[in-house]
Amino acid sequence: MSVGTRWNDYDWRLIRGEPVAAPVNHAIDEILTRRVGSGEREPTLRFWERLQPEIVIGRFQSVRNEVVEPAAREMGIPITRRITGGGAMYVEVPNVITYSIYAPPELVAGMSFVESYAFLDEWVLRALRALGIDAWYEPINDITSSGGKIGGAAQARRFGAVLHHTTMSYDLNSDRMLRVLRIGKEKLSDKGITSAAKRVGPLRLQTQLPRQSIIAAMIEEFANSYGLEEDVVSDAELADAEELVRSKYGTDEWTYAIP
Amino acid sequence: MHGEYKTPGGKLVMSDLTVRDGRLRDVVISGDFFLEPPEALALIMESVENLPADATEDEIAEHVRDAVSGDVAMIGFSPEAVAKAVRRAVG
Repeated sequence: MSVGTRWNDYDWRLIRGEPVAAPVNHAIDEILTRRVGSGEREPTLRFWERLQPEIVIGRFQSVRNEVVEPAAREMGIPITRRITGGGAMYVEVPNVITYSIYAPPELVAGMSFVESYAFLDEWVLRALRALGIDAWYEPINDITSSGGKIGGAAQARRFGAVLHHTTMSYDLNSDRMLRVLRIGKEKLSDKGITSAAKRVGPLRLQTQLPRQSIIAAMIEEFANSYGLEEDVVSDAELADAEELVRSKYGTDEWTYAIP
Repeated sequence: MHGEYKTPGGKLVMSDLTVRDGRLRDVVISGDFFLEPPEALALIMESVENLPADATEDEIAEHVRDAVSGDVAMIGFSPEAVAKAVRRAVG
């Protein structure tokens, strides 16, 4: 099957997200996944923007095991639980690029979970290679390069759709990250390295390009390959997301589901 | 008590539990793995809860495997990885 075949079955929409509070971004992910699943929205690519730093933990992680809560409180950094599995991240606003793909299950039909991760980020690898980075996919869910790990993806198959979101490192403040996240020896046991900071190869270091130029290059690659039409989060979608923050993503019941 | 096991090339499984009256209690399984559907995590934890504290790795894995049969997908970890994390917690 050629690269674009399945992707080209859809009329893709692009959302250049407005900066929003941490739990709102996660609620928008769920709302847009639901809307694509129900057919109310075309398959969509959304780039995130943020108002504030955040600590994000995976759906199945324990807050206590992943986060140094006193340090997070002292630094005033909110903790949010994602709808997807995967690992904890410490995110500073200008230091990452995050995007979400909301797609019908047919896009990845017949693929294993592991195969679908690489498939859904193929266009990103092409964009990064065009910027001179020798990026490749390291299963299950990492985008990496000879200059270090670039990013990680996570998926949820829910609400009749596939949510695939990826956060890439643009720049890094490892000192603050190491203060708020617990990164144990066991996690690094099959990686052959001991410093979490050494594992990462931020895009700024590897390209010398402004963050927005990298996002523009990614959008161009996606648009040229699969087509892309500008769109926004609608007022109704945003209202639904804000309600979902009140009932779910902004509540301790959700965040501390696994204390 | 706390135990961890990193699946080679995969994900980290953590177990937090206590032992009361010779049995595994208050079992919490967590980690950076992927699991579909997410509700299956409760089944995994229930399958370990109340097992004898001296249950072997194989016995624990067997219980987890029975609990997730069907449409559950464990991605980046396995019943064996859960069992190893549990055994490491008991020590």
